[in-house]
Amino acid sequence: MTEQTQRIAIAGAGLLGRLLAWRLLRRGHAVTLFEAGALAQPAAAAHTAAGMIAPLSEAVEGGASVYEMGMAALALWPDWLRELHEQSGEAVACQHNGSLIVAHPQDSAELLQFHSDLRHTLADRGRFHWLDGAGIEAHEPDLSGQFQQGLLLEDEAHIDNRHLLRALLQVIRTQRADCRENCAVELQPGAVSINSGQREEFDLVVDCRGVGAKRQWPGLRGVRGEVLAVQTPEVTLQRPVRLMHPRYQLYVVPKANHCFVIGATQIESEDRGPVTLRSNLELGSALYTLNPAFAEARVVELKANLRPALLDNLPRVQHRQGLISANGLYRHGYLLAPVVIGHILALIEGGALPFADALGMEQVA
Amino acid sequence: MDDALTLYDETFSSRFLLGTALYPSPQIMREAITASGCEIVTLGLRRQNPADRDGDSLWDCIRQSGRKLLPNTAGCKSAKEAVTLAEMSREIFATPWIKLEVIGDDYNLQPDPFGLVDAAEQLVRRGFKVLPYCTDDLILCQRLLDVGCRVLMPWGAPIGTGQGLLNRYHLRTLRERLPDTVLIIDAGLGAPSQAAEAMEMGFDAVLLNTAVARARDPAAMAAAFAAAIGAGRQASRAGLMHKRQTATPSTPTLGQPFWHQQGE
Repeated sequence: MTEQTQRIAIAGAGLLGRLLAWRLLRRGHAVTLFEAGALAQPAAAAHTAAGMIAPLSEAVEGGASVYEMGMAALALWPDWLRELHEQSGEAVACQHNGSLIVAHPQDSAELLQFHSDLRHTLADRGRFHWLDGAGIEAHEPDLSGQFQQGLLLEDEAHIDNRHLLRALLQVIRTQRADCRENCAVELQPGAVSINSGQREEFDLVVDCRGVGAKRQWPGLRGVRGEVLAVQTPEVTLQRPVRLMHPRYQLYVVPKANHCFVIGATQIESEDRGPVTLRSNLELGSALYTLNPAFAEARVVELKANLRPALLDNLPRVQHRQGLISANGLYRHGYLLAPVVIGHILALIEGGALPFADALGMEQVA
Repeated sequence: MDDALTLYDETFSSRFLLGTALYPSPQIMREAITASGCEIVTLGLRRQNPADRDGDSLWDCIRQSGRKLLPNTAGCKSAKEAVTLAEMSREIFATPWIKLEVIGDDYNLQPDPFGLVDAAEQLVRRGFKVLPYCTDDLILCQRLLDVGCRVLMPWGAPIGTGQGLLNRYHLRTLRERLPDTVLIIDAGLGAPSQAAEAMEMGFDAVLLNTAVARARDPAAMAAAFAAAIGAGRQASRAGLMHKRQTATPSTPTLGQPFWHQQGE
């Protein structure tokens, strides 16, 4: 394909859909964005997520390709956020402070296992090192006394994800994208059918619907995740903290206004129902053991959502004439979205395909 | 079938039962199932909102493995909960087989023997083929047999600890006192050598999950366990020698009369 501008339909206004709409608008394409729900109250997993960009931690399960793609994304985010700021006036926070992995003394085997798996997966790459009690106190004074050993993973960041989603919507609207909310669609190459049966033609259709595209992706499933958000001025954390435990592996991500997002359960279920008491207890207990002052924190939110995942829990981009589909970002939305977008843009405009081996599928004629 | 494992009148050639939780991805789970050569896989449903079949995506993936499904009641803490979940799993998976778990202690996930016997009795009466996850207590095992269980699954160690066979005396007692009962070591094994030891002791099969699912290469670890279980079984049938104090040369040393030993 050439670099001439195209009429492009994007289905799904989650993180991928919004980022893609924004990047395409910047390149002069005409974008129509379809969203089955309301744009102001995103139902996307990206809205529920904690917004971590954790190429090291996620590589332990996801493998070396997650690390490589995640590091590329980590390098891209600051540029993208600066451009977004210039365009929209919205300064979305993205803190590149690393993250801290801790375990209570009785669970130190979990920490050792994580460290050895990390070294094995990254094969001498990645910046991470051990901290003792004093080191933990120096980095996170509010965890002092609770932990004697921790791992500081330097190449990790977290983003104010809800602010990002709002800012992207704002800039998409000011750049005159045609935004259609509460509008479920069926997709064909080069065409979109709206629920009323009306059909609109485009040069290209991009499917970013996540779990909503289940019928189009054999093997796509939703993996339930539950998160708790609390607010307290009594505890301050500088960076995300992951607590290793044999049964629950939970993270706490500090947000603006003394808020903390604690996540996430991982249940092989497509249940979108409210958070269960058991999950609430697990998330809350883990938080409380980090610092007992969390006991008086206010619960501001309890949410459940589904992560779209393929069989290997890695993302893929599928391309055939007139239709590109991207899916399977699982729990790696903020970690991998920039490289997935880069891959889609290269499919649209030509040029070398970034991470073609990891993301690509055989082109369907 | 030579040396088949018989469970509730069905025969199996593999003596390795594999759990389906904790894998990095469903794909890796499927590869591990294939590499294990197992014919029975266990699966949990307590947290999947089974009433609405919300776990169907992963369950379909497990069904596609073509293995016999052994649903479990993991996460249940009372007989009532376990019976309700077993009924649900019979409906969803169309099988009366159930791996019965009734957990009595949150810290070490130890089975609650009283709730277990109660639930087993109710389920047997309702037509289930019950495979109870139990401790290595002989009396508990006898009670489970009394209420109609025909297979028992004593623990090697608490679930997910990888500690191996913690109480060899109890386990040996079980094997000796219940010679005709199918006994499967379930839970707590971390290394293939431990699985081989269980089989050498005469146990009929081994059920595992964490040690395979949490390995760096689950498929390779599944293959390693399969080999160890096979070796242990073969050794048990071949007849292990008894340990002795005195060294015996495998090649007789001529010209060294036995009365010339040191200290005589």
